[in-house]
This record gives sequence, C-alpha cells and structure tokens, in this order.
Amino acid sequence: MFPTRALLGRSVWKGPNIVPLPLPRTLPPPPNTPPIRTQKRAATILPNFVGLRFAIHNGKTYVEVQITEEMVGRKLGEYVATRKRFTYKQSKNK
Amino acid sequence: MVFILGVNFPERNLLKKSLESFFGVGGNTSSRLLARFNIHPTCRVGELANKQVLDLTAVLSDMKIENDLRREVLNDIKRLKETGTYRGRRHALGLPVRGQRTRTQIKTPVRLNRMERRL
Repeated sequence: MFPTRALLGRSVWKGPNIVPLPLPRTLPPPPNTPPIRTQKRAATILPNFVGLRFAIHNGKTYVEVQITEEMVGRKLGEYVATRKRFTYKQSKNK
Repeated sequence: MVFILGVNFPERNLLKKSLESFFGVGGNTSSRLLARFNIHPTCRVGELANKQVLDLTAVLSDMKIENDLRREVLNDIKRLKETGTYRGRRHALGLPVRGQRTRTQIKTPVRLNRMERRL
C-alpha cells in the first residue's frame, strides 16, 4: 500500500512540490465558485490555498475538500482516500 | 533510596537503567547524561554524590519527558485524525500507519492504534 508521497522523504534541494493550479484571481473567491478540480494529489498545500475548495480525484470521482490552516505543508491526496473499506457482499447464486 | 525528579530509586539499581525508566529517556539520552556529568556507565544510584543528583534532576526537569511528551505525541495523532488525513484514519481504524502490508502480522497497531489512543 502506497498512500501518499508525503510519508517518504523528499530532497530538500527540490523544495515543495509546487504544481501550477488554476487558483482564483480574487481572494476570498466569490460564493458559488466551483471547487478547483485537480488530479494532482501530490501537490503540496501552500499557505495561499487556505480557505479554498478543491475537488480532488480519488481515482474514480472528485471529492471536495475545504483547505484549512492545519493542512498547509501536506499533500492534497492525503485528505482523499483512494480505497474503499472491504465489505462482504453475499452472493445469491452459488 | 534516592530521589531523582521526584521518583524514588533503590540504591542498588543501575543509574543508567533508572534514568531510562522515564518516558522519553532512552539509551542514547541516558548515556549522554552520564557523560555530561562524568559518571561512569556502571554507576549505581547509591554511589551518586548529592550534587550529581541535583544536576541530573535539574537537566531532566528541563527536558520534555513523561506526561508532557505523552501529551505532545497524543496531540499530534489527534491533529491527524481531526484534519482527516490518511494517517489519522489509519490510527483510528487500528491499522498500520506507514504503508506496511496488512495481510499478516499487524498485531502491534491492532493493540495500540485506537480511537482513544493510550501510550
């Protein structure tokens, strides 16, 4: 299982993984702005993301996440699970 | 009996082992402490001079050990849970946190990782 790159060390000379994302021009963004859709789960959450809404890909659908101050420095993908919990499904025809 | 940081140690105990009985003081820290106050590694608690006991207590009380350290660790885990990270979820589910396989041998996280984690 390989949850997220944040658990592994990253070379200091690379700096944080800054991904060009379509951030809104005005801060705070006006209400009813759609969340920022992205598949870049490895993107580091920067301080200017705080308060924005992201729709992060979980491999199948986009899950909305509101960025708070405590999330800065972590990765977007850490807040969206990629796996479903195992549930036993009873099959009728054996 | 000798008091170090409010804990009573029998005189025949090894000083190094006695120091390691504090949560947050391991082999490395305790040998550094002994070296700092010129105490030989096989010293017993009873052989300490009064001044050395006071020095050790002073240094230990400045360090983040015992309940302060426990609280810090628990708060870190709690923060992971509250922000909804993958790691926090694994802590709450009682599963390994750092990407280990879960097919076999996950006794330690099953025992330790709880919703209300204790150290």
